[in-house]
Amino acid sequence: MGKLVLRGFAQRKVRALLTGIAIVLGVALMAGTYILTDTINGAFAEVFGAVYKNRAVVITAKETLGHESGSQPYPITEATLARVRAVPGVEAASGGVVTGATLLTTTGKRISSAAPSLVDAVQPARFEAFTAVQGHLPSHADEMAIDQATAKHHDLHLGQRLVIAGAARARRYTISGIVKFGSSESLGGASVALLLPAEAQYMWGKPGEYDIINVAASPGIFPTQLASRVRAALPATLIVRTGAEEAANQTAELEEKLGFLRTFLLVFAYVALLVGAFIIFNTFSITVAQRVREFGLLRALGASRGQIMRSVVAEGLLLGIAGSAVGLLAGIGLAPALDRLFKLFGADLPDNGTVLEARTVIVSLGVGIVITVLAGLLPAMRATRVPPTAAMREGVQIPPRPLPTRRALVIRFVAYLVLLLASQILVGGGATIVVLIVIMARGARLTVRLRRGGERPPRHYRVIPALGRTIGLIVSWRGITGRLARENSVRQPGRTLVTALALTVGLGLVAFISVLAAGTKATIDQAVSRSFAGNLIIQNSSAGGGEIPGTIAPALRSIHGVGAVTAIAFTKGRVRALDEPGTPVIDEDSPLTAIEPQSFTKMYKVEWEHGSAATLASLGRNGTVASEKFARAHHLRVGQRLLVLSASGHHVTLTVRGIVSEEAIGLLSNLTISRALARSAFGQREDGVDFVAYGAGANGAEVRSGIDALLRNEFPQAHSQTAAQYTQDVNKKTDKLLLLVYVLLALSVLVSLVGIANTLVLSTYERTHELGMMRAIGASRSQIRQMIRYESLITGLIGGVLGLVVGIVGAVLVTKFELSGAGYVLSIPVGTLFVMLVAAAFAGLLAALLPAWRASRLEVLGALASE
Amino acid sequence: MEGSQTIVQAHDLTRRYGEGEAAVDALAGLTVDFPTGRFAAIMGPSGSGKSTLMHLLAGLDRPTSGTVTVAGVQLTELDDRALTQLRRDRIGFIFQTFNLLPVLNAEENILLPLSIAGRDVDRAWFDQLVETVGIRDRLSHRPAELSGGQQQRVAVARALISRPAVVFADEPSGNLDSKSSGDVLELLRHAVDDFAQTVVMVTHDAHAASFADRLLMLADGRIVHDGEAASAEQALDLMKAIG
Repeated sequence: MGKLVLRGFAQRKVRALLTGIAIVLGVALMAGTYILTDTINGAFAEVFGAVYKNRAVVITAKETLGHESGSQPYPITEATLARVRAVPGVEAASGGVVTGATLLTTTGKRISSAAPSLVDAVQPARFEAFTAVQGHLPSHADEMAIDQATAKHHDLHLGQRLVIAGAARARRYTISGIVKFGSSESLGGASVALLLPAEAQYMWGKPGEYDIINVAASPGIFPTQLASRVRAALPATLIVRTGAEEAANQTAELEEKLGFLRTFLLVFAYVALLVGAFIIFNTFSITVAQRVREFGLLRALGASRGQIMRSVVAEGLLLGIAGSAVGLLAGIGLAPALDRLFKLFGADLPDNGTVLEARTVIVSLGVGIVITVLAGLLPAMRATRVPPTAAMREGVQIPPRPLPTRRALVIRFVAYLVLLLASQILVGGGATIVVLIVIMARGARLTVRLRRGGERPPRHYRVIPALGRTIGLIVSWRGITGRLARENSVRQPGRTLVTALALTVGLGLVAFISVLAAGTKATIDQAVSRSFAGNLIIQNSSAGGGEIPGTIAPALRSIHGVGAVTAIAFTKGRVRALDEPGTPVIDEDSPLTAIEPQSFTKMYKVEWEHGSAATLASLGRNGTVASEKFARAHHLRVGQRLLVLSASGHHVTLTVRGIVSEEAIGLLSNLTISRALARSAFGQREDGVDFVAYGAGANGAEVRSGIDALLRNEFPQAHSQTAAQYTQDVNKKTDKLLLLVYVLLALSVLVSLVGIANTLVLSTYERTHELGMMRAIGASRSQIRQMIRYESLITGLIGGVLGLVVGIVGAVLVTKFELSGAGYVLSIPVGTLFVMLVAAAFAGLLAALLPAWRASRLEVLGALASE
Repeated sequence: MEGSQTIVQAHDLTRRYGEGEAAVDALAGLTVDFPTGRFAAIMGPSGSGKSTLMHLLAGLDRPTSGTVTVAGVQLTELDDRALTQLRRDRIGFIFQTFNLLPVLNAEENILLPLSIAGRDVDRAWFDQLVETVGIRDRLSHRPAELSGGQQQRVAVARALISRPAVVFADEPSGNLDSKSSGDVLELLRHAVDDFAQTVVMVTHDAHAASFADRLLMLADGRIVHDGEAASAEQALDLMKAIG
């Protein structure tokens, strides 16, 4: 039997190839994802290893909230440094600062686009991982060094002056050196400006403070030994680690962050694999039906049902192994392409060489093989039901599954019950409902079968023919080829359905996402025009956002013609309920919005559940306003008191004064406090956004040019936008993300194209005789091609229409039930969806290329003789 | 009826299958003419070359050497496109296995050659054909809903609808019971007598051959008998003689 499987495989090369591609693409994306993320991790591990190589011990500050809050409650100062230097065994110690900043040319052009740009305090030679390749490391306050990659990319040279803007007013520096990091030209793709420590502290906005202390050990002292000595000499609020530990720690943290990217990409790989599974199932179903005679012969010659089953499963296994192996290889090639894709969409990730881990190989091969075999299992079971008489007679149908016995029924009932309970306990909610619906549908089918004494009830076979014939009308004007295509497309409704469904999965997701994205845009549009009453919005202009110096707001106020300015800051705190009777239990990290109560209400309209603009005006130092969602989640009432641990380590008691309705822009987060409180108790010196309103009678254009001049000269990290420009900017970001998702979904659509092609090849093979007759009575090759192209077009459009319906309905449901609270507006992007349908039609035409060509090359005589 | 004009002509036809030592000559220098308005039956044992001859005459296959002329056009000089067009406009086919398209109903199947050619339907001719083959009440049925005899009668109408110069029938009664078989052969006879249609039929059934005007007997790629089609018994005797 094994030989038979191999022979059969070799004889059906085209089919094997096409079916194989179905699995190859999904596995390739999966393997590519693992390889890409492993490679990035590897590159960063290398970076961190190099940074901490010569640092025996490093000291960092413990943060009150999660590590990402960027806050530092217990400052590291010169005094801390002095205490460290006094520890016996410390040969040298120095303080470091790394902070994000904006680099610009003197003409205001930004340097570095995608990757982050950083300011790094230059360290004594023993700790410094950067070495000069030209010039020297900065030794004066007005000097800087820049990494070689950035210098090359932006054509920077020694002696050139650059502008750097961080948490304060911008300053100018002269490039004194061009540096490399270890042996590479940059630090993992980021642009780095080396400055003297005091300058770096200025950029950080915290003069006199460090974020790290690097320690070198005297000869003969082990890092671990030194670490415990240093730890003993410092307060417990500081973290002391060996250099190796810190490197591992940072690598692990980064890996966690990259986990998101991995999951994001894997979702698309699984979608592609799901589509592939559809295609494999379909192909196997068709081939089993076509090989009824062969199976009958084998059965007549004494092959057991098990042997038949095994021979089909073995074919699936072989296909799975071959497809997954090719997929893995393709994944190695795909990883750099994915990297480039992300670069294109603005995420520059470092990559040195390719990292292929054993896990990548095992998971990719395993998943690919298991999915292929599982998809082939049902058709294999059908094959076992072929009776031996099929060998002798023409057109024997595979008998339906026998009716389950009483015992099987009981087992099935118990299995359903277990499944239902498991889904409720493990997943809950929607999953249980889905499982319940599936079980009920199966139950209903079984009931019908039992009533009919085992006969298979007619299934879903009315919708597809109706849909196919309706869609087919668009080719009916093409005469007989159109007419035949229309009929052929719905000849085997089940086959057409599964083929089209493969396309539906990808296009349904496209439709779903495009409707949601259109809704998001419309919502932002509406919310901005409804809420924002000012003239300009001042924000950090870098692609990834960021904060702006708190000194911008006062500087803006002094510009002639500016009527009002209000600054809004974003900070974090850990919210707890006071230990009072009747208070709910809360203990969670939460974002907080800080506003200037008097001016804010003039420029931003808030809708209230409880309270009014006056509530905001009276926030004071112990008042807060909660968002409706937050209040609902924690059963907050007006008058309730909350204990908030601020990012800088202070405890503040806040009283809930009002509750605001959910707003789509998300300006007011869970809790809103006054900016004065945020500055004093939360250490929040920087702002998120400033709103500006022109004074009465002022010339808007003049005022704006004054504002823009200030920003250009002193705060080049920020820019001004009108409400319309702001909305446009947000929409552009949405579009960019949307495009990335489309590109990744295109892979699934590609897989479904292969599926359509495969089904067509198999169907035309079945119709060889018909095609031969048509050629004999005078149909030209191009007519045959046309007929198959149209059939494919119809199948593609069935998939497209179903995808459209599924996607729109899904998006409408999500909007209605999940997003309705946030004032979400439903918007159907008719243009995009129409383009999607046209794309589905083209997909169909494209898929037909090979099958149509093959069919038109049929030799008339051979085709007529085939039986 | 002008029986003298030649509509299909084969000259010195050779068709060789395979190469070298394994080469087999299915036809070995065969020359034959078919006049218009006549019903010819070609008989012969398996491997005699009768099917090959019909395929070459109908432009479904190309000879190794020799020429075929249909309605004044030399087939051997035509490319695939021209040959397809010739088959479409000048030749009708009737197959042993009916070969109707299952997705079309009887009427659409009959009109298929005209649909393919994009030609208008001569409604009067269509009606006459439908009456003749007797499937008026079956026109909206699909092949799966028709009996074998009905299907073959639809196929006969399909072969005649484009008023071809010649109809080739390949074992037209091979898959039918004797009653249906007789009906279909009567139809062919009728087409020749009343519509002046030229019919060339390949068969191994002596009874079928007896409906023809002329009987050609092939053996080993050559014509061994060419004469008036006599009774079934005489045809059988001839077959036995070749053996």
